Amino acid sequence: MTLVEQTPDTRSAIGAMDRKGRATSRGWGTLATYAILLGGALITLGPFALSIITSFKTPQQFSTESPLSLPAPFTMQNYAGLFSGELVDFGHSIIVTAGYVLVVLVGQLTFSILAAFAFARLRFPGRDVLFWLYLSTLMIPAVVTVVPLYLMLTEAGLRNTFWGIVLPYMFGSPYAIFLLREYFRGIPEEIVDAARIDGAGTWRILTRIMVPLSRPIIVTLTIITIVTHWNNFLWPLIITGSPSLSVITVATASMQSQYNGNWTIVMAATTLAMAPLIIIFLIFNRQIVNSIAITSFR
Amino acid sequence: MKRSISASRRRGDRIGYALLAPSLFGVVIFLLTPIVVVTWLSFQKWDLVAPLKFVGLSNWLAVLGDPTFIDSLMTTVLFVVLVIPAQTALGLFAAVLLSRRLPGSGVFRVIYVIPWVSAPLALGIVWRWIFQPTGGMLNVLLGSHVPWLTLPSLALPAVSIVSIWSQTGYVTLFFMAGLAVIPEQLVEAARIDGAGSTRIFWSIKLPLLRPTLFFVLVTTVISAFQVFDTIYSLTQGGPQNATDIIAYRIYEKAFTGFDLGQAAVTALILFLILVAITVGQQLYFRRRITYDLS
Repeated sequence: MTLVEQTPDTRSAIGAMDRKGRATSRGWGTLATYAILLGGALITLGPFALSIITSFKTPQQFSTESPLSLPAPFTMQNYAGLFSGELVDFGHSIIVTAGYVLVVLVGQLTFSILAAFAFARLRFPGRDVLFWLYLSTLMIPAVVTVVPLYLMLTEAGLRNTFWGIVLPYMFGSPYAIFLLREYFRGIPEEIVDAARIDGAGTWRILTRIMVPLSRPIIVTLTIITIVTHWNNFLWPLIITGSPSLSVITVATASMQSQYNGNWTIVMAATTLAMAPLIIIFLIFNRQIVNSIAITSFR
Repeated sequence: MKRSISASRRRGDRIGYALLAPSLFGVVIFLLTPIVVVTWLSFQKWDLVAPLKFVGLSNWLAVLGDPTFIDSLMTTVLFVVLVIPAQTALGLFAAVLLSRRLPGSGVFRVIYVIPWVSAPLALGIVWRWIFQPTGGMLNVLLGSHVPWLTLPSLALPAVSIVSIWSQTGYVTLFFMAGLAVIPEQLVEAARIDGAGSTRIFWSIKLPLLRPTLFFVLVTTVISAFQVFDTIYSLTQGGPQNATDIIAYRIYEKAFTGFDLGQAAVTALILFLILVAITVGQQLYFRRRITYDLS
């Protein structure tokens, strides 16, 4: 199944033209649609807007004025507090989180691509059995594996280490392997055969043909992996204890319990935890939105 | 000649296994072994400090005989029942409106997905403030002082609202993709036959959305059964266990109650429930008529 890309601009232009000629009931329908969509957008954006404006307020203004008032005076002291290193050091947390996301991303993509290529294009005994084994692990939820993984990594001496956070994720993900395999299988056999006749080996075929032709799905997986692991909370919370290994979600959670009621600094923390991904999302929104939708059809 | 073919095949086999090696290591060590370990752990007593001790079935009997465990299961089911129909219906509704492709639809689509990219933990904390009895946004808007998160009867609905709020946009995306592949001719044909928009939606679009609906239900039900970050940041299972959802209970048993054995039992029961749901949904949707137009 393929998604036909229709440019919204031309379609809506045509739509606007034939709407002009039709009954006004259609106009009311359009108005109602916009009203509902706008209401939905306000409800969706409200909490983000509140988090941002509160993060720039002084505690005095916060305690005396309405939550909807704009910051006056505008202050950066909440953010300064996050980086002061007294209780949590967000600068450090951002570095730890970025390192964790990067290692998981590179490991997961590399090893998933290798596995997906083997499943899609190579023949060897036990291939299909192994593929079903991989697929069956899609049913294993994270919450179920957290307790035994804690035991295993503690026994291995990896509790409270950086590698303790990344190891369970960095060897590839069955979901990514599944999506990549489907994509690799869709690449025409003739292209691969032609390369093979020209003397290309398995490695060249993988790196020069399969990977470049699979850019859309690789972009999708990159985004899904970054979002999942930047926002990951349960595993880092359990496996790390020292503040020096706090990822950003764990640091934000400890802000909330240590500065309970001190909402201006807590909102600076939540804003900072969410902002990087929102910015990335706004820049790449078209690819992200399209690619998320594509995953459901494969 | 024959020998060289089998030699090259063996070489091919080796390449296949070599490419699979790292991910197979990951799958076996970090996905399959934990299932074995959690089963083994369910027969042990462990408090993170003292050495493990075999206790037979006593963890299982303790968990299954614990009324708060049954309550927790019921709370989880209630949460799923509150969240899934609402977010599916809202997501579908939004997708239908966005599929009219009015000018500016793209902007709304982007806005609705923003909660999906934001850390559920951070969002939970923002909502915790919104729900505050004094100074919280919701009570300021309503001019009231309702203790949303500390009144047992309101806490679960409040948590559900946060969950629906953050998931709906994501669900919308899938329905939009599903609507986009419905052949235009079918809709046009129905319109020529005199069907109105409502009729077209119920009789044509909705039945054709079945595969999308299946995908959305399977993934959202399974993730709703595992919701943790939102509970951790909003209520920590309280008040009076009103939001003590099963995933949170596993964490609490293990890492604040230091009873890893009972946590393992609880985790295994959740695992069995999720497997049953997946298989059940698969069978249910298989049985129904499917429309294949590809």
